[in-house]
Amino acid sequence: MTSEKKSFSGAKRYVLDDELAKIINISMALEMPLLLKGEPGTGKTMLAHAIAENLSMPLIVLNVKSSMKLIDALYQYDTLTRLNDSRFGDSKRDVSNIEDYIKMGKIGQAFTAGERTILLIDEIDKADTDFQDDMLDVLDQMEFDIIEIDKTIKAKNRPVIIITSNAKKDLSDPFLGRCNFHHIAFPDPKMMRRIIRVHFPDIDSELMESAVNVFYKLRDLDGIEKRPATRELVNWLRALKSDPDFKVKDFGKGDIPYLGVLFKKSQDYERTVNTVSRKRLI
Amino acid sequence: MFIGFFYKLKEAGIPVSPTSFLTLHKALSRGLVSSLDDFYTASRAVLVKSERYFDLFDQVFAHHFEGAEMPDYEGVELDELARSLLDSWLKDPKTLAAALGLTESEIAKMTPDELIEYFKERLKEQKERHDGGSRWIGTGGTSPVGHSGNHPGGMRVGGASRNRSAVKVAMERRYRDYSLDGPLTQAMVGEALKRLRNMIPAGPKDRVNVDKTIYQTMKNAGEIEIVFDRILKDRLKVVIAIDNGGWSMDPYVHVVQTLFDYARAQFKDLKTYFFHNTVYGTLWQDPSRYKKPQKIDDFARFDPETRLVLVGDASMAPYELMATDGSIHIEERSGKPSIECLKFLARNFRHSVWLNPMQSNMWGYTQSISAIGRIFPMFELSIDGLEKAVAHLMAK
Repeated sequence: MTSEKKSFSGAKRYVLDDELAKIINISMALEMPLLLKGEPGTGKTMLAHAIAENLSMPLIVLNVKSSMKLIDALYQYDTLTRLNDSRFGDSKRDVSNIEDYIKMGKIGQAFTAGERTILLIDEIDKADTDFQDDMLDVLDQMEFDIIEIDKTIKAKNRPVIIITSNAKKDLSDPFLGRCNFHHIAFPDPKMMRRIIRVHFPDIDSELMESAVNVFYKLRDLDGIEKRPATRELVNWLRALKSDPDFKVKDFGKGDIPYLGVLFKKSQDYERTVNTVSRKRLI
Repeated sequence: MFIGFFYKLKEAGIPVSPTSFLTLHKALSRGLVSSLDDFYTASRAVLVKSERYFDLFDQVFAHHFEGAEMPDYEGVELDELARSLLDSWLKDPKTLAAALGLTESEIAKMTPDELIEYFKERLKEQKERHDGGSRWIGTGGTSPVGHSGNHPGGMRVGGASRNRSAVKVAMERRYRDYSLDGPLTQAMVGEALKRLRNMIPAGPKDRVNVDKTIYQTMKNAGEIEIVFDRILKDRLKVVIAIDNGGWSMDPYVHVVQTLFDYARAQFKDLKTYFFHNTVYGTLWQDPSRYKKPQKIDDFARFDPETRLVLVGDASMAPYELMATDGSIHIEERSGKPSIECLKFLARNFRHSVWLNPMQSNMWGYTQSISAIGRIFPMFELSIDGLEKAVAHLMAK
């Protein structure tokens, strides 16, 4: 931990509730990874960006892919370049020194960085369980071996680790045992208004009120496969604001423009359009 | 400190580990926790690892620190029969009231225990379970009875959690999602299912084939030639449809859980559906079988190479299978007898099996089992049966 106690209280573009702020601070103090779950669009990824901005620490993002192996996240031994160099010998690298051909992956970068960093491991559920468990071992020990050069990389500064997961299913027990956990619920209308204020400081409050109302009503429609989230609402407001022909009163007439911004699946879109025009629900 | 609290969480069924308890103490000793609110957040983040237990945690916390009444866990211990009745009836307060010979307001005054007693008494007289009558069907859209309002359930401390009373907890069991951890025989199921894989090259050619590269380079007398391959990927698509309704499947919950757990961890492209007894026009994507229906006609669009696995005891009254409107659920009226729907699925997917948790020597006694067995190759849901089923699914 840094000498002066850094603690986190929110950032310019991110609205944070007290509970989450406390959990982040506890995780940082305990030096344990924080696992964030929640439905898409609740700002799991944004949170890491916000912490980085707030504590002015560099952010390193590891986007997990399904085909990813642990070693990809740690380091890469670039055999092809070495082979090429040995054949043509026109680079400044020393072919006999394997270390010249080792490139650090995201976790490696976080370990070798000169200052304390924030390591965001995004969508861990995409990878298989072996990857998850192995990775937690590395993060627990804060070191890994580079087999090719028989060298151990130790973390100079213990990074702040934020892990996100969309999955409904739980991660493995050993994994969970090493993390702190928080579930981000979908923001309630009150919170949502605060979030909108952050994104549009000068928004007309009448527009905001009716837009938020309409948004929550639309979210509650039956049979919607992908319900619109915060991101969609913000984009929708942006669209509404930029349309000179749009007036807030139009909502009252049962006319909701730019539904395509909120509903990205064609079935959802059609269903909503039908419901809105038939029931005059708003 | 807080050891009592820790054990209460454990008793309530939250998987808390001693390690995490020690971590919590580390947080306490560092002075990170200065108020009860802090303690609430800290202990939840450190001890509870899934949002499924948040509600339970809230209840235990409220009980331990605020003296709130503990929720009635007995509600969960209801026997299956009573619970199913409770489920059907709570959907429709009027039917409930009529069935018990009470007025709605009287029911609203009763505690869950009293209600359950009523159910049980009523149950003894209950004969018309399979008459297909419409009063067994909830009205779907209506919310559960206002009954839950009178049960204290549990006090909430901070946070915007959903309050649930014991009645609702009991009801939760209706949505019996086989996703909770099954028994520890997963490894065995895994062994059996391992061969259900189909590795084929896919994606861009971006993997270096070292052997071929060396060979080509040697052939070129040292002039480097790098050979790329596509990576091998498991492209097998699997659809699992599980019978999660009815009491007849209850004894097999464990074994189905195991299968389901393994399948979900193992197959990249796995779709799960649910049905009750047999398939009428629809399969459901949600375990409670009313939110996300999928018409079986849509399955015609699926890749015919998809492996279809149906899991169920296939035991029902013959008319449920043969009659045009055989479903005991009134909203399931497709105009086609179920047996036609099953044949349709079997035609659509060349590779399909029916896994039956009942022992195979019992199959001959149930007419519907042999009928379904003629449509889908049927295997016992045991390690042996699985092996055979997998061999069948992978046959060319």
